[in-house]
Amino acid sequence: MRRTRLGIKLREFGSVIRAEYGHIFTDAGVVLIMIFAILIYATVYSLAYKNEVLRDIPVGVVDNSMTPASRQLIRTFDAAPNVNVTYNPENLTEAENLFFDRKIYGVVYIPEDYERNLLKGVPAIVSVYVDASYFLMYRQVFSDVVAGLTGTGTEVEFSRLLAQGINAPQAEAVVSPVQFTLRNLYNPYLGYGTFLMPAILIVIIQQTLLMGIGMIGGTWREFGIYRKLRTPGEKRLSTIPIVLGKATAYLSIYAVTLSYIFTFHYKLFHLPMNGSLVNVLSFLVPYVLACIFMGIAVSTLFRSRESSILYILWTSIPLLLISGASVPKEAIPGWLYNFGKIFPSSSGVEGFLRVQTMGASLTEVRPEVTTLWILCFVYLILACLGIRLVMNREDVR
Amino acid sequence: MFDATIRVLRREWGRICRYPVYIALMVILPAVSFAFFAVLFSAGVATDIPIAVVDMDKTPTSRTVISMIDATPSALVAYQVPDMAEGERMVREGKVLGVVYIPTDFEKDIMSNTRTSVAAYLSGLNITANGLLSKDIQTTVTTFSSGIQLQVLMKNGLSEKQAMAQVLPVYFDRHILFNPYVNYGYYLLPSFLPMMLMIFSLVLTVYSIGSELKNYSAGEWFNTAGGSTGAALVGKLLPYTAAMFGMALLMNTIMYKWIGVPLNGSIVVLTVAAFLFILAYQSIGILIITVLSNLRMSLSIGGGYSVLAFTFSGLTFPRMAMDPLLRILSYIFPFTLYTDIFIDQAMRGAPVIYSIRYMGLLCLFIVLPMLCLPRLKKIATHSEYWGKL
Repeated sequence: MRRTRLGIKLREFGSVIRAEYGHIFTDAGVVLIMIFAILIYATVYSLAYKNEVLRDIPVGVVDNSMTPASRQLIRTFDAAPNVNVTYNPENLTEAENLFFDRKIYGVVYIPEDYERNLLKGVPAIVSVYVDASYFLMYRQVFSDVVAGLTGTGTEVEFSRLLAQGINAPQAEAVVSPVQFTLRNLYNPYLGYGTFLMPAILIVIIQQTLLMGIGMIGGTWREFGIYRKLRTPGEKRLSTIPIVLGKATAYLSIYAVTLSYIFTFHYKLFHLPMNGSLVNVLSFLVPYVLACIFMGIAVSTLFRSRESSILYILWTSIPLLLISGASVPKEAIPGWLYNFGKIFPSSSGVEGFLRVQTMGASLTEVRPEVTTLWILCFVYLILACLGIRLVMNREDVR
Repeated sequence: MFDATIRVLRREWGRICRYPVYIALMVILPAVSFAFFAVLFSAGVATDIPIAVVDMDKTPTSRTVISMIDATPSALVAYQVPDMAEGERMVREGKVLGVVYIPTDFEKDIMSNTRTSVAAYLSGLNITANGLLSKDIQTTVTTFSSGIQLQVLMKNGLSEKQAMAQVLPVYFDRHILFNPYVNYGYYLLPSFLPMMLMIFSLVLTVYSIGSELKNYSAGEWFNTAGGSTGAALVGKLLPYTAAMFGMALLMNTIMYKWIGVPLNGSIVVLTVAAFLFILAYQSIGILIITVLSNLRMSLSIGGGYSVLAFTFSGLTFPRMAMDPLLRILSYIFPFTLYTDIFIDQAMRGAPVIYSIRYMGLLCLFIVLPMLCLPRLKKIATHSEYWGKL
């Protein structure tokens, strides 16, 4: 007796998988979301962020000094990697117009007494005008201009000390007793794509699964699939075979697309791949499963096929932000950040960045992996409950 | 024509009252999303980001540097670790975002006038946090270094003023134009709220027209309008335009009144721009559903198109850094034009003339999709286009 019960369940499991492949591949809307969306998004975003950093931001220098010293200073700016002196406006009004025309993104004003003050040993004051409306540009312009100015200052001081008869190593120690060196770990040039792409991809996996599964859930309701797949002689389909059958179908499809994304696509756009295959897989499996079970649970709320897009689309950006990948988590109110943990994406982003980009071991991301398995379990139960409720309601109909 | 519009409007109102999804998309979800972003950015700039310190010197001097770093707004010295390996492990565990390394003989070298160093190893995986930490730690070390320099020079017989002039031969005064508080939220908030406005405007347009096709009611819709495409469209979309414009006013109130985002230019221009922005996305919504005549496909494509816009606005990653082709591509998103207007008017206080051209381009996005109207009439009045799922 038990054998045949198991046989029926297995048959149901098989027919759910087959039906689900059919629902996915015969539906252009689902194919677009569950297969092509991640490929298209990954490619377009990667193309946009391909250059990683912005070099040679145009700035203007108003040189009222017109002396060898001021020209030397301008050359220093030009030699810096991030800025390029493209305009020499006559005065600040002219500089302002260039600025509003988006021709320059910063202005340096060298006063008329610049060289005179340097020679006299009086502090020479240079004014720096930077625009903080575009954040990344502000930071780069500012750091390069300041580096140019302090570098010039150090040189001036150094040559003064030499002139006073102090030997070079000593003068060096006087000029800068404590040197500061900065190394950026895991993203040496602070590339934008390196920093954001992995997080975006992780969020896309979750969002496309939620929307795609939601759409198919709507299909089951609209077409009464629950009744159609019933084994003859049985009262109705059983919950577990439905949930596991669906999950198997989705998992197999994402296994294919994600293999492409995390190998070829990553190589093509030089995204950081420091995690070992075993670690990356051991992390992605609970992540994708948690997303799938959440998707099945959420899908039972949708009555029609388009509902999932209507309700889920807008959450993509909020979920990316709440994961702490873009805005640092120290800037997010604690309760909101913790609330985000109910979505797989928050632990997914946090852990995946460390496993894949930093090459962290599984023990180093244990809290995130544990959270993901807990979410898997909780959403599996919710998915089963949801499917049961839907079937009860369908029976009433 | 006017009567027909009113009839369609009344019919649409009935639909809005009947299906809760409309109220959700018109009022509830936009308000929830606005509230989300307002709360998210309420904390302002990140403070007390945890870092670890490797202190190989363990002297009063090294401890001074460490407590100076700890006192900065962005950094919090959360752990003292014995070596770099341990420090990097903590970075990989996500417990700290960086490690500061102070070498042995740090104090001795300073006393004996030999050059020494402080090194910071900061995770590059969060550019924002990295920027805050590197600025604060660098400033701290430079300040500390200049202090020692001053002491040395004064010991050598210079007056404090002479010594200062020696230490800082070139002095700069910094003027941060626009967004003087250098607040991350001040410019992210004004870009995410319009994103939400845009998504809901587009989705509502596609859904309100597409559901007529899906549910075989498009014919009745056009009959109510007496066969006039203009009346059918205006009557149908007016409630959503009004709701979205109401949301735009709420958005501006949240930003400029409650959060305190700078408003240096014309609020009139910003309001008109928001209105054109909504119309542009409604227009694009009409185009998508008309061309595809399939509700779900249109929602998928429209959704994908709307979410992509953020990247191409250049607000976070500058457009200038993108390849020329992608830079041109960024102008297929009205969002790009809207954020340009926002930067000019709210942040920079640019003369209105600079924003006129962007508004003109926004109008193109409203007018051009209207070329598809003949097809809209065709698909709405021919039943072979209905019922596609």
